[in-house]
Amino acid sequence: VIPEYLEKLAGELAFDPSLSRRVRQEVEDHLWEAVSAEPAGEGLDAQRRAIARFGDARVIAAQLAVGSLAKQARRLAIAAVLLIAGVFVVMWARFSWYALMQWPALDSTGALGPVVVSVERSAFWVALFVGVAGWIYIDSRGIPAALSREYRRQLRRFAALCMAAAGALIVSVASDGVLTALRLAGTGWSVQSLLPVFSMGVEIACAGLMISYMRGLARTTWRLRGSGGQ
Amino acid sequence: MEGEILKGHLDMIVLAALSARPAHGYAVIEEIRRRSAGAFDLPEGTVYPVLHRLEQAGLLSGRWVTADSGRRRRVYEVTRRGRRELAEQRAVWRQFSDAIGGLFRPRRNPA
Repeated sequence: VIPEYLEKLAGELAFDPSLSRRVRQEVEDHLWEAVSAEPAGEGLDAQRRAIARFGDARVIAAQLAVGSLAKQARRLAIAAVLLIAGVFVVMWARFSWYALMQWPALDSTGALGPVVVSVERSAFWVALFVGVAGWIYIDSRGIPAALSREYRRQLRRFAALCMAAAGALIVSVASDGVLTALRLAGTGWSVQSLLPVFSMGVEIACAGLMISYMRGLARTTWRLRGSGGQ
Repeated sequence: MEGEILKGHLDMIVLAALSARPAHGYAVIEEIRRRSAGAFDLPEGTVYPVLHRLEQAGLLSGRWVTADSGRRRRVYEVTRRGRRELAEQRAVWRQFSDAIGGLFRPRRNPA
C-alpha cells in the first residue's frame, strides 16, 4: 500500500525530478515510522491508517509543487539577468577585438550602421532594465503556500516582464547580427572574422536559453493549472 | 481545531516545534501534537510543504541522515534567521492574544 502511495505522490511531482525523489524519500520514512508506531503492528491496515493520516497525495503534491514553481521563477529571474549580462560581455569583447584589429568604424559602412547601433543599444538597455525589474519583482514576493489567484497574478506580471526583456534582447542580438555582418562585409572574410562570428553565436545562444527557461516556467505553470494546493 | 485557522499559522507552528531541537518531518508532527495536547491534529502530509517552504526561505536548514532503520531522512533545524523570525512572530502573537483576551474577558459592571 505504501509503495503505491509513494508512486502516486512521486508521479504528481514528476515535472521536478529532484523534488520528486526528495519527497519520495522523506514521505517513505515518515509513513514507515508511522506504521511502526502503531500498536497493531505493520499490517496492511496499519499502512492504510498511516496513509489516511498523511493526507491526499494530490493535495500534498500540489502544495509542494507551488514551492517548486516559486523556485523556478526565481531561477529564471537570475538566469535572465545573467544572460543579458553575458550578452553585454560578449559585445564588449567583440568591440575590443575590432579595436585590436583596427577594423574601420561603422560610419564608413553607410547610413544604416548608426541607425542599427542606436536600435541595438536602446534594445539592450531596455532588456537589462526590464530584466532587473523582473528579478527584483519576483524576489520580493514571498513563497506562497498555495497557487492562489494572487500568486498567479504575480506570475503573470513576472512573465510579462520576462517577455519584454526577452523581446528587447532578441532585437538587440538581431541588431548586433546586422552590425557584425556590416563589419565583416567591410573588411572581407579572414581568420580574424571567426571571433565576431563566434561571439554572435554566443549571443544567440544566450537569447535562446532565456526563451527556453521561460518555456520551462510556462510548462510548469500549465501543469499546475487547476491545482490550487489549498 | 479548525483547519482553516491553523493554516494561517502553520509556518509559525512548525518553526516553534523545531525551535527546541532539530527533527525530521514525523518528529515535527509528533512534537506539534504533544505540545498542543492534541488540539492541532492536521493531516500529517501538510507539514512537508511548510518545511520545504521554510527551508527555501532560509528559515530552516535541512540535512540528510541515515536513520536506525537504514532509511534516509531529512532533519531540519531552525537557522539564525528563523529564530529571529520566530521571536518576531511570538511578539506579534502575544500582542494579538492579549488584545483578544481583553476583548473576551467578561466586563465587570460598574458599581
